[in-house]
Amino acid sequence: MKVALSWLKRHLDLSGISDDLADLLTFAGIEVEGISEMPALGSTVIAAKVVSAEPVPKTDHLNLCKVDIGDADYPAKDENNLIQVICGAPNCHAGMMAILALPGTELKEYQIKKAKIRGIESHGMLCSERELGVSEYHGGIIELSEDIPIGVLADELFDFPDTVYDLEITPNRSDLLGYVGICRDLSAKLSRSLMPRKPVSFNVSDAELKLGLHNEARDLCPRYTARIIKGVKIGASPLWLKLALIKSGIRPINNVVDITNYVMLETGHPLHAFDYDKLSPKDDAQGYPDIVVRNAEDNEEFIALDGKIYHLDGSELVIADGKRISALAGVMGSQYSGISEQTVNIVLESAAFHAGTIRRCSYRHKLSTDSSYRFERDLSASFADRISDRATDLIIELAGGTVCGELYDSYPKQETDLILGVRPQRFELLIGYTLPGDKIRDILENLGFSFIQYGDFVPGPIQDIDQIYCHHAEEMKQGITEFSELEDCQHAHYYRVPAFRKDIVREVDMLEELARLAGYDQVPRRVELQHIMDRHAYRVERKATDWLVDWGSYETLNYSFCDPAQMIQLGYQEEDLDFVRLINPQSSNQSVMRISLIPQLLTNMVYNLNHAERDIKLFEMAKTYHPHKKGHIEKKRLSAIFTGKISDDYWQDGGKKIDFFWMKGCFTGLLSVLGISFSSVDCDAPYLIPGESFSYVSEGHLLGSFGRLRPDVLEAWGVDTGSLKQDVWILDFNLEPIIELCRNTSLVYQDIPRLPSVTRDLSFLLAERYGYAEIQQAILALDPDLINGVEVFDEYRSKQIPEGFRSLSLHVILQDQEKTLTDERVDRLMDSVQKTLASKYDITMR
Amino acid sequence: MQEQLENLVSEAKEEIARASEPNDILNLKARYLGKKSLLNSLYTKMKDLSKEERPAFGNQLNQIRKQFEDMLTLRSTQIKEQSWQKSRGDMDASMPGYPLSRGSYHPLSIIRRQIDDVFLSMGFEIAEGNDIEDEFHNFDALNTPPDHPSRNLADTFYVEGGDLLRTQTSTVQIRVMENYKPPIRIISPGRCYRNDKPDPSHSPVFHQVEALVVDKNINMSHLQDTLQNFASIMFGEGVKSRIRPHFFPFTEPSAEMDISCVSCRGTGCRICKHSGWLEMGGAGMVDPAVFNTLGIDSEVYTGFAFGLGIERIAMLKYRIPDMRILFENDLRMLRQFRGEL
Repeated sequence: MKVALSWLKRHLDLSGISDDLADLLTFAGIEVEGISEMPALGSTVIAAKVVSAEPVPKTDHLNLCKVDIGDADYPAKDENNLIQVICGAPNCHAGMMAILALPGTELKEYQIKKAKIRGIESHGMLCSERELGVSEYHGGIIELSEDIPIGVLADELFDFPDTVYDLEITPNRSDLLGYVGICRDLSAKLSRSLMPRKPVSFNVSDAELKLGLHNEARDLCPRYTARIIKGVKIGASPLWLKLALIKSGIRPINNVVDITNYVMLETGHPLHAFDYDKLSPKDDAQGYPDIVVRNAEDNEEFIALDGKIYHLDGSELVIADGKRISALAGVMGSQYSGISEQTVNIVLESAAFHAGTIRRCSYRHKLSTDSSYRFERDLSASFADRISDRATDLIIELAGGTVCGELYDSYPKQETDLILGVRPQRFELLIGYTLPGDKIRDILENLGFSFIQYGDFVPGPIQDIDQIYCHHAEEMKQGITEFSELEDCQHAHYYRVPAFRKDIVREVDMLEELARLAGYDQVPRRVELQHIMDRHAYRVERKATDWLVDWGSYETLNYSFCDPAQMIQLGYQEEDLDFVRLINPQSSNQSVMRISLIPQLLTNMVYNLNHAERDIKLFEMAKTYHPHKKGHIEKKRLSAIFTGKISDDYWQDGGKKIDFFWMKGCFTGLLSVLGISFSSVDCDAPYLIPGESFSYVSEGHLLGSFGRLRPDVLEAWGVDTGSLKQDVWILDFNLEPIIELCRNTSLVYQDIPRLPSVTRDLSFLLAERYGYAEIQQAILALDPDLINGVEVFDEYRSKQIPEGFRSLSLHVILQDQEKTLTDERVDRLMDSVQKTLASKYDITMR
Repeated sequence: MQEQLENLVSEAKEEIARASEPNDILNLKARYLGKKSLLNSLYTKMKDLSKEERPAFGNQLNQIRKQFEDMLTLRSTQIKEQSWQKSRGDMDASMPGYPLSRGSYHPLSIIRRQIDDVFLSMGFEIAEGNDIEDEFHNFDALNTPPDHPSRNLADTFYVEGGDLLRTQTSTVQIRVMENYKPPIRIISPGRCYRNDKPDPSHSPVFHQVEALVVDKNINMSHLQDTLQNFASIMFGEGVKSRIRPHFFPFTEPSAEMDISCVSCRGTGCRICKHSGWLEMGGAGMVDPAVFNTLGIDSEVYTGFAFGLGIERIAMLKYRIPDMRILFENDLRMLRQFRGEL
């Protein structure tokens, strides 16, 4: 639903808050789905009279217009004080009043300049609604009525600047389907009263014209009112009315129809006008027409005002005259009974219909109108007469005519007022904070509730005020006792619910109103979770240990103590070692807190070797302990020891042993899946063999190392390396920097390329002094946009290959995001790859 | 004699460097440090020198001896280390490591697990229910009016016999409340179905997680806290949550939950349509009518509930532009989630 700020201001003082209105609406529960600004047009957009309009020769639609802008300044006026403007609009004609944007005007989409069109000078533009940003309508230029003074600013005429809000009204709030309802919510939010509405002032004449009103579907039509107005003059609506509709997204049609729409937008309650003289009686002898509210008959035909024919199935509610259907009740009028330029006498309908019936009808016939949208949300019947009065008043004022007799009103079952109690204690219980009684009253009264009295709480609506008598009520009325003093007593404030709030039937519904309008931002946050836990670290630790388990490794747990001598055996120099020492160790080989997990993993491995295990993969995640100027620090490490075969024995595989590249995959794979970029450096661990071990760093942090264990270290642990005949590998992660380096990285999905990639293979001889990584980088660097990946898939050395060389085979994966790769382009690129490798690395292609 | 010494040192250096086996070291040791070595014979020549010259010469010989010993030890270690490395050959250490063929979970499961973790840590249990449900649990018990459009075939899938595919996992809340007495603290994650054509933001099959807490003295401030915890744990510490009034038939008061934009952190960008906020789902205090239907005394017990779309969370968190991507199961998409925690 579109609402214009300028119209909202007619019902509520919005001074000082216009800028925050969108937020205010949103936090009142009226979601703003879109905002369109209508900026001020400025002094160069004015009302002007088209004095003459002559077709431009050899064009089919252009007119050369002479335009009078009155006293407004413009340098290029001709001898008759007129301005020459070319206009292409179909409705442009001499004598019309229009809106002219002079050169220099900045419109939303256009910048108006002096221009030459077909060689003829044009000083400005006669504007359509869309060009001025009033609406999307572009069917012609705006035609103003003749009483608008020449030269008056468009801003003044259009109430610019203005803002239109597109609102989403939740289905429970039928009271928000008009400007007054929106303003009522805002008034409660802002604690400002609605402006009083203009009282009706029309006079009622004799019932010269009559009709017969027959409500034959009382269950589906709780109220039907009809009023006859005689002698109206159908014509265009005044500009203010047209604009009010246009800004709210409704096209103006004629004054009577526009007024019904205007009152619908204002009150939220749709109205309909029939041409009195088109309606027939049941019995021609009666002399005046009938209006029958009834169910449609099965297979009855209805011709809607747009000319479309609908076949009804009997479930629809219709408004008929004595002979045929005049309207699908609450949805759409008929073609024959609508208001036309010839209409003189009208019947104004203001009614209430069963919401479900309207909804089903609208759904079944795929006919959704401003009217059905409102009726299917259950409108109150109570106001049908007053809404009719409001429209009647405007019709008499703008279209003339006289009211014929009293209102025809079929209102079989009066809606009764609902009286509900609301307990402040219950608000606190449900919402979580205290709302003072006077604030409760302020909000509810601004919403249209009327306070009745205090009393003992009764769940559900009450009929009899005496039912809620409470001995405190009198005291409170006199101000002796405050509500807040009555904690133990389930006291309630009793209010009469306004009839337009059909959604309020229980205490909890009122509590929601209070919470909503006091503001959900007032609801405190009851802190139950302190975010003490480092969830990220927890997850990385889990991921890292899961990783090692996935690689076939078993977790070990060892004491936190260690033997300092074992660190020496690992190859550390005594002077470099610093321990947290125990005062009362159980033994000398458990005298210090460990600074490495490796010695015990070695012991664990040896233990298992001694129990005839040959293929061993063990890891431990634990802390190491280090003296520090402020006491001690503890660091998390993840270390592993591997030896033997990659997998358990299986009849189909050859029992491949763990080797350097398997270890490298295990170590670097974890860093990669965590999204950490890293580079290798010489290994710093004394127990690993140089050249077969690496340490890894990232952003200056040492992440850990892996490599093959020195046989002499093994021997120090009592292993006979001669009989072991297999390598032992160590892997050691420094967890803390790893946790930190991936802490704030977030995975961002990369679009899957639309086009297929192309893979080309490359085999060549390469001198041993060049590493693969170097070659890979060199190829990738050649065209990073096109070369998506380089993967090695074969390496071999043999007698056929010269000494000091090896053969490498690579996949080069090419991918263009924009266009399909042609063979020619791929060939050219591969050619340059070969040339580069040949010149830089002296390769020989195979 | 000095010349002789210099020759000896340079000769020893060369020979020791040439040694390639432990045996060579033993031979060289005998040759340069043994009884018959030249060095040893020079010690005997010391007596020919004058008393003044003797100490200096003795010192020199001792130094040379020490030098020989060191050189031999070092070379011996080198030979040992080389023997360890014999298997290495011409290994190029820069070749890629072994790629363990480890797969990954689907991004929706990753999100689902993260959500589970958040709520498990807050003391919630996980309750699952059936996808094929009846109208009572999917609509009636949740206060949906009998002629509400969401019950249409155009919106909801029905199976033969009158049952339907649940349109939200609130059905589980109802079943839990039917079978257990408060206090209740559950999340119900699972598949839901709506008769929407697949497009960038719709899927006929999608995933939701709903939370339900029922106890004495539960109020909106608990809801606020739970939502804020969810937002900051799922999207990062700086991400804020807010609620604003809305309408749902099964909660009163009802709210919509927003989080501050995960892309621009609230300053406004394309993803949040320049509002700084992203809509996350519906929430509210359980409507007393729902309690009454299930025989729970709404004067004694209160509760809150909320529902979140797992697809939306995944799409926001990983910037996945189109919901259909999530159901294509393209390996090039799935592979991207190998490392997600």
